[in-house]
Amino acid sequence: MITYICKRLWQSCILAVIMSLIVFLGMYVVGDPVEMLADEDWTEQDKIELAIELGVDKPLHEQYFSFASDIVKGDFGTSFVYNRPVLDLITERLPATLEIALLAMVIGLGIGIPLGIFSGIKSNSRASKVISFFTTVGYSTPNFWQAIILIMVFAVFLQWLPASGRGLTNSMFGIEWSLLSIDGIRHMVLPAVNLAIYKICMQQRLAKSGTQEILYQEYMVYARAKGISRSRIIRRHLLRNILIPIVTITGLEVGGLIAFSTVTETIFSWPGIGKLLLDSIHMVDRPVVVAYLILITLMFVVINFVVDIMYAFLDPRIRHQK
Amino acid sequence: MNKTPLLKIKDLTVTYPCGPQGKDEFKALDQVSINLNAGQIIGIVGESGAGKSTIGKAILGLLDPPAKVVNGDITLLDNPLIGLSEEQYTSIRGEEVGYIYQNPMTALNPVLTIGEQVIEAIEANTNMRGKSAYKHAIDLLEQSDVSFAEDRLKKYPHQLSGGLCQRIVFAIAIAAKPKLIIADEPTTALDVTVQQSVLQTLIKLSKQEQVAIILITHDIGVVAETCDYVYVLRNGKHIEQGITSDVLQRPTQDYTKSLMASVPLIEKRLHRFALKQQDNAEDTSRGLQYLREKEKTESLTKGPILEVCNLSKIFITPSSMFKPKDLFTAVNNVSFTVNRGETVGIVGESGSGKSTIGRMILGLEDITEGSVIYRGKDLKSIIDNKERQKHCLSMQCIFQDPYSSLNPRMSAGENITYGLKAHKLIDGNKAKSLAQDLMSLVGLKKQDADKLPHAFSGGERQRIGIARALSYRPDFIFCDEPTSALDVSVQASLLNLLKDLQEQFSLTLLFVSHDLAVIRQMCDQVIVMKDGVSMEMGTNENIFKQPKSPYTKSLLSAMPVFNP
Repeated sequence: MITYICKRLWQSCILAVIMSLIVFLGMYVVGDPVEMLADEDWTEQDKIELAIELGVDKPLHEQYFSFASDIVKGDFGTSFVYNRPVLDLITERLPATLEIALLAMVIGLGIGIPLGIFSGIKSNSRASKVISFFTTVGYSTPNFWQAIILIMVFAVFLQWLPASGRGLTNSMFGIEWSLLSIDGIRHMVLPAVNLAIYKICMQQRLAKSGTQEILYQEYMVYARAKGISRSRIIRRHLLRNILIPIVTITGLEVGGLIAFSTVTETIFSWPGIGKLLLDSIHMVDRPVVVAYLILITLMFVVINFVVDIMYAFLDPRIRHQK
Repeated sequence: MNKTPLLKIKDLTVTYPCGPQGKDEFKALDQVSINLNAGQIIGIVGESGAGKSTIGKAILGLLDPPAKVVNGDITLLDNPLIGLSEEQYTSIRGEEVGYIYQNPMTALNPVLTIGEQVIEAIEANTNMRGKSAYKHAIDLLEQSDVSFAEDRLKKYPHQLSGGLCQRIVFAIAIAAKPKLIIADEPTTALDVTVQQSVLQTLIKLSKQEQVAIILITHDIGVVAETCDYVYVLRNGKHIEQGITSDVLQRPTQDYTKSLMASVPLIEKRLHRFALKQQDNAEDTSRGLQYLREKEKTESLTKGPILEVCNLSKIFITPSSMFKPKDLFTAVNNVSFTVNRGETVGIVGESGSGKSTIGRMILGLEDITEGSVIYRGKDLKSIIDNKERQKHCLSMQCIFQDPYSSLNPRMSAGENITYGLKAHKLIDGNKAKSLAQDLMSLVGLKKQDADKLPHAFSGGERQRIGIARALSYRPDFIFCDEPTSALDVSVQASLLNLLKDLQEQFSLTLLFVSHDLAVIRQMCDQVIVMKDGVSMEMGTNENIFKQPKSPYTKSLLSAMPVFNP
């Protein structure tokens, strides 16, 4: 177990280094931060001074090494644009993204899995076909279009819910959360639902195909032959077995939601981490982009690790593998 | 004795819709009637497709849709069972009727503990809850001869052997003291020694608790040992019924007679199975000629063709997240010699390493220690690639599972010759006619060479596998349980075919099987294996008539005896 964890950590370190190299190079190619930050009336001398201040006057490899050695010390650098430590910027924005990402995932799993099991068991019924039709549509229409429709219906025509911003936040553990106020929750609904639509569709399809596969296993027939009630068969015998593929995908999806909810956050002006990334790329704010992507890489490594442990928890055959 | 039967099945007909738009129907069961009294064990025998399992499923309302009962009644103690709702069936299943499933490894849910699966059955069918249900579970396991019952309840199915799983399924079946137990092939997946004890438990149950048992099986030996009364089915139709000894020893119907003739006997070795010779209108001469054209590089003198010296195989499982590195000795220091034209049999229970030996001889598995000397040469000593290829091509294999050992996307003919084409031993034009010749040689129709494997039955597919092995004109064929997936009548005709081919071409066979009776019929020399070690080696007569090793004796005594 310990050797396994060490191996995993070592692999993720290499991954993070490669990632930082690619992003560093990529951002170098995209543009010159001095040009982005400079006002029109600046002289050449001003620009050179700014370049020295930012450290972008040195050759690229030197920049990379000083950046990397700072990271090892736990310093992710200072944003070119905001002139503040990158880590502060990210941790400030992260709770907003975590909130809607997790809410979206809860909605996705909570609605998607029961729908999927239902349509898997009654796969020939009309209801199942209707559900599958809608999830196919939900799956294949673009996210931003769904967002616009949501805003149009619920914010413009019905005026039930606000269309942008985070609303009132309350603080807990020194972090601001929208979840803790009614107004904040009202603001969360639309962006979270927007993210959740895709997840509902995905989970429904996964659960449906899983159910149809497990339903015809001999132990399902045998469970009926034992005289167990139908609800218990579904709860214990079916659900437990279809969860394994669902956990895999859910792990990756949670990561994806946290890292790349950029489109939704932009449309709903949600001040999350995705919007920060987009703005930083725009402004060639290299330290923010690089640090962000390294953190995301590490997050995916952690998520995959958790998924592996979940596997072993769900399937004893993996736990006892010889 | 009670006059009203416990279970009465009258004119039961079950159909599956088939064909375009489900307009045609296939009768899985056709007007079958069965009566069963308390304390009686009846056997339902037949080959695959006979509809045996359909009877068991119909009683409990477990037929897979689209199958449906179109005619007939099933009454349990005068209560009709047909047409009950799923809820009403729930009170019958487990409580009145226990069910023992064919394959215990797939009947138990792999992700739930044994305890949960036993206790849920107890709680569903009795008034016991919580602690008392747990205690009852331990009692049940002990009654079913499961040792360390308390510990086993915490285990998962994959941690237990097939025999133990079967006993747990058994414990679940008797949880609520049902009046009837349906045992669907309860011993098919088990080794003979385990089979013996499962059958004993069934007999004990019917004698002591007056439980009625329906034993569904294809194994005539099992029926002969266990059942009072037997029904013979074929293609869903009732063929014959009667007291077991009458039906088995004095069958009145042609089908039953041929079935009995197909059963391999352990008592004496026959030259062939007494099957009706099928008129083979096909011309086999060209196939024969092809096989005889073999380069005569070596004289066909009797003598060792294969020597296996101190062969060992150790499997290493690399360390994983939850387990350190693991070593498993599959084969431990086995030596034997195979003479040209002889059949050597390796017999043993599952996990005895018998197939691994064959795979090492063929080079499909690396050899950990020891050597395999074939035609006087150690395979390891051959450096020249061409020579190695020639060496290897004269050793062929017939695989266990005819369903997965043929490429499903290639026609039968292509399956037979694609290896030859890959080695450029034949050109494309001749390949097709060769495939046809070989197919008629193994008793298939020439014109079927263009059909895909799924159009053939299991026995026919295994014939394709034999034709494929023969296409290389081999000296030596390794037969890895070639008939264990097949019905007895199919098995008998295949074994006859192998014997004929061997006589005609002085083939050397290494025959691996778990079935002692098949080994008895096929082999000249026999090796008995257990846990990777060779327990005993000797001629067929010696092993079966004067076994020396206690293990061989226990295997032989566990074999169900069938004496027509």
